[in-house]
Amino acid sequence: MPIASRLALALLLPALLVNLAVFLVPMGNLALLSFQQASAGGALLGGFTFATWAKMFGDVFYAELVLDSVTIALSITALTLLCAYPIALFIYRTPERWKNLLIVACVSPLLVSAVVRTYGWMVILGDGGLVASILRGLGMVKPPRMVFNTTGVVIGLVEILMPYMILALIAGFGRLNASLEEAAASLGARPFTVFRRIVVPLTLPGIMLGCLLAFVLAVSSFITPKLLGGGRVFLLATEIYDQAIVTLNWPVAAALSLVVLVIFGIALLLYGRLSRAIA
Amino acid sequence: MRPTRRRLLAAGAATLAMPAIARAQQASITIAAYAGIFQDNYEPTVVEPFRRANPGIKVTYFSMGNSAQALGQLRAQKANPQVDCVMMDVSVAKAASDEGLFEAVDKASVPALADLSPRAFTPGVAAPAVTFDNLVMLYSPERVKPAPTSWKAFWDPKYKEQIAIAGVPDIVGLGFLMMANKTFGGDDYRKLDKGFEAVAKLAPSVLSWDPKPDAYTFITNGTASLGVGWNARGQLYSAQSNGKLAAVLPDEGSLFQINVLGLVKGSKQPDAARAFMNHALGAEAQAAFTERMFYAPVNLKAKVSAAALAKTAASPERMAQMLPVDWLEVAKFRESVTEQWRRRVLTRR
Repeated sequence: MPIASRLALALLLPALLVNLAVFLVPMGNLALLSFQQASAGGALLGGFTFATWAKMFGDVFYAELVLDSVTIALSITALTLLCAYPIALFIYRTPERWKNLLIVACVSPLLVSAVVRTYGWMVILGDGGLVASILRGLGMVKPPRMVFNTTGVVIGLVEILMPYMILALIAGFGRLNASLEEAAASLGARPFTVFRRIVVPLTLPGIMLGCLLAFVLAVSSFITPKLLGGGRVFLLATEIYDQAIVTLNWPVAAALSLVVLVIFGIALLLYGRLSRAIA
Repeated sequence: MRPTRRRLLAAGAATLAMPAIARAQQASITIAAYAGIFQDNYEPTVVEPFRRANPGIKVTYFSMGNSAQALGQLRAQKANPQVDCVMMDVSVAKAASDEGLFEAVDKASVPALADLSPRAFTPGVAAPAVTFDNLVMLYSPERVKPAPTSWKAFWDPKYKEQIAIAGVPDIVGLGFLMMANKTFGGDDYRKLDKGFEAVAKLAPSVLSWDPKPDAYTFITNGTASLGVGWNARGQLYSAQSNGKLAAVLPDEGSLFQINVLGLVKGSKQPDAARAFMNHALGAEAQAAFTERMFYAPVNLKAKVSAAALAKTAASPERMAQMLPVDWLEVAKFRESVTEQWRRRVLTRR
């Protein structure tokens, strides 16, 4: 082995060991836990059983849980992209001297904890809140319920994920070049055609990075669905919490955690495939 | 005198030779119990007097968010426990007992056990009860008039979308389901069909099945008008709320929740830990904590003022209304209740 690669290996070793100790070993424990027997009261009885996994594959509830979680996470990702893309494009095109200020403004919500922002949404979307009052002012007799259901969770998470999406989009906009857009326009393309045929394809790397980030964060989000879901929205993370903390069924909680890991793996795989396809 | 190695060894040998009780005088124990308002009231009324009476025992109060977290700690520290006494809900304590995480205590080492109510001992749980609490109806005196006296108030259409209850699998939700079952004619808490029927009808009126941080806050800040909670916290918060929250024990009765205090197996200071348990279960500490936070005492000799007793479910006429729920029995069918809850209650919008 050449010295350079041996050196590289030596330099990678500490990080590798840390990862092994703090990630792989606990993950292995989690996997083992999912095969342990548990009593109805939550006591761990040791032993080795496929009962937990058999139950999860046999119970429609868990299939629906996974499907719902992925669907909600995908819709949140799509909405976040829709809300964040114009902002990111605008920031990318502003002159340098304003750009940093705008980026800081977009990222500043991250300075406030997600918990606090979620409580903010509870007030804004609540029955006596700003949105309901405006709708009533516009003549709606009974505004729809916007909190303690899926609507509330989606609104809350889209706002919370937007800063990440904007940052990822701007980071991936490197290939976008004003002269290409001008060239297209000079050849007679209307603005929408320029956007569709030039801007979107050139910004695809940013879109994909942002979507991956938003999806992974949405599918594993816990505090926002917990606070805004009103006990009606079942997502993987909230179910893991309920199983671990409320019903004390640690094997099911462990198995569900591994399911989340598998979903992450699939998302990463898809991302890798797609980014190679467009490169 | 310089501390030479020989002197240190001699001192160490002398310490070991001292009788167990004398050694307990220089002990340091950690008790794990609930955080927040519980700790704020438990430390001054129970832990602080123990510290004063036993200057040789250093007591650390390790606060936990909930019983499951306490169980998690015990499991993780099984080989080398850092906690000596732990407080938790009786059904979680059953799991801990089954896993051998508790050391049983007897009247010889913890004499206060002799004065406890027979209900303080649950078969199969190696830890005695330390507090009794009961389910109550919470309401906003400003918005709910006249003051409700029955669980049926939840089904009054006036309060549509003004109800906050922590749903199943939380034990508040389980308790509410059992009380709904009793209110609408079910005579056995193990057969909850009547309860499910009633709660399914109620479901569209419920604003949140998972009020965060809790139902007390939802009512105090005006998000909801009716809710379900525990008596001790309900009484304390209503006293602090300036008339925004009140707690009532409805006519149909209620049911008990039990917290136990257990000695952790492998505790390095079992004698000091037993001394603390004896204090915490003793008549004086029990009475002081009831006066302060309205948990019903487990010690029959605790002398509680009539005013405080009236705010607990400990008076004989109230005791008679209680649904005799065996939480260990409930633990067995909790999972099927959770499944039915999802199918029959949460699907109703």
